[in-house]
Amino acid sequence: MVAHLSDSMIFGPRPYDLKMIALVAVMALSGCSNKQVIVTGNFPTPTMTKVQTTLGVVYSPEFANHEFFDEAKGRNESSWLVQTGTAQVEFWNTFLPGMFERVVVIGSDEDWHTHHESLDAVLIPQVAELQYAIPLHTNVKVYEIWLRYQFRLVTPEAIHAHEAESLMFNPAEDIASFTLTAYGKTPSAFMQSDTDAVNYAAIVALRDAGANFVTQFDRIPAVATWLLALGEDTPGEAP
Amino acid sequence: MIANPRLPLSLVLVLSLQACVSATVNEMTYNEPEAGIGDAALVILGRRHAPDYDTEFDFIDCVGKVIHSGDPSITVINERQFIDRLYPWFEPRIAPMQPSDIDRLRAQEPIQEQLSRFGIEYMIWIDGTTIETNSTGSMTCGVGPGGAGCFGFGTWGNEANYEATIWNLNEQAEVGKVSAETSGQSYMPAVIVPIPIIAPVQDTACESLGLQLLQYFSSEH
Repeated sequence: MVAHLSDSMIFGPRPYDLKMIALVAVMALSGCSNKQVIVTGNFPTPTMTKVQTTLGVVYSPEFANHEFFDEAKGRNESSWLVQTGTAQVEFWNTFLPGMFERVVVIGSDEDWHTHHESLDAVLIPQVAELQYAIPLHTNVKVYEIWLRYQFRLVTPEAIHAHEAESLMFNPAEDIASFTLTAYGKTPSAFMQSDTDAVNYAAIVALRDAGANFVTQFDRIPAVATWLLALGEDTPGEAP
Repeated sequence: MIANPRLPLSLVLVLSLQACVSATVNEMTYNEPEAGIGDAALVILGRRHAPDYDTEFDFIDCVGKVIHSGDPSITVINERQFIDRLYPWFEPRIAPMQPSDIDRLRAQEPIQEQLSRFGIEYMIWIDGTTIETNSTGSMTCGVGPGGAGCFGFGTWGNEANYEATIWNLNEQAEVGKVSAETSGQSYMPAVIVPIPIIAPVQDTACESLGLQLLQYFSSEH
């Protein structure tokens, strides 16, 4: 059981930021230009009929501090560090309350103890993969960001405290587990820097993640069954 | 005091140099609102689902300005504001592709309320982009103790191709298409000072498309 839960750890001590150290080391050794993007933007609240559900959300440290590092492969290339974690949390904290009647962010064991009786389910998002492309890579004048999310919807009882700073969930109490992709692009523009363009593409990708989530959520069979059991209509169909 | 009185005139001439642009406009519209659109508003949206281009936000702004400046009684809703207020339903992945899709969205009360608040009767979708078709030439610039300067010649071509599709939301019908194709060649000779002679390809497409749409919506044109 211990091993089983260890596989499902969602909260734990923050690991050292090895990627940042690697980036600094690469910058120091190569002397090449390196690009760092801390994704920032404003996100709108969805306009839709809300799902009458109280949803808990757990952002793991990996999710809340998500970043992507791509080391330069040649002298003419730059190393890239794209940090999406803060924007991810900001986006989903804006998006989910627009889609569900009540949303509670579970940030600690104490939060869970306070709210777990009122929760219908807990959503745990993870960024499984991030890819990017810039005109230098593709010869197309478009900057692109592609994201793959792994979502788990679990019962409130699936969340357990583990040691001082850890929250874990029991995969046996999954309601649903599903992946979603998101894509954002922006054409190259006069006087626009690479980093601005990648930032904008990431914002478009996050917005696209919301659009995909709205249209796919109730189409996942296990989620549809869960919503039916709650006596809830589907959140609304896309055209 | 100006040492050389001809200098400002020369500057004005240089700044106003424009290369030629050829434009073709096609229009096919139905059910024109002969008395204009009254108190109703319209929104102009860009299509952005193609893999290799996006219809530019500033082009959409430009067309809206042409319509509103031609007839200030026509309310044109800002595109970004509209997309944000109706998020996520007009994101490229799930944006409506036909007028009947709007009716399905209206089934959700918050969306219906927001559309009513805007008072939108017409939705115009613009699909297209401006591309650079060719470029050639070379230019060298240098800086020395005596000053700086450039020498050379560059030229490049641009093509703009846009199509506007008009939806009447009350009738749930497509009521017209207007398209504009423009192209032009820009030049940049440089003898000490580079002199850009720009072909306003996108601006011409914007004005052509905007004026055609203005004629459709305005009772005064």
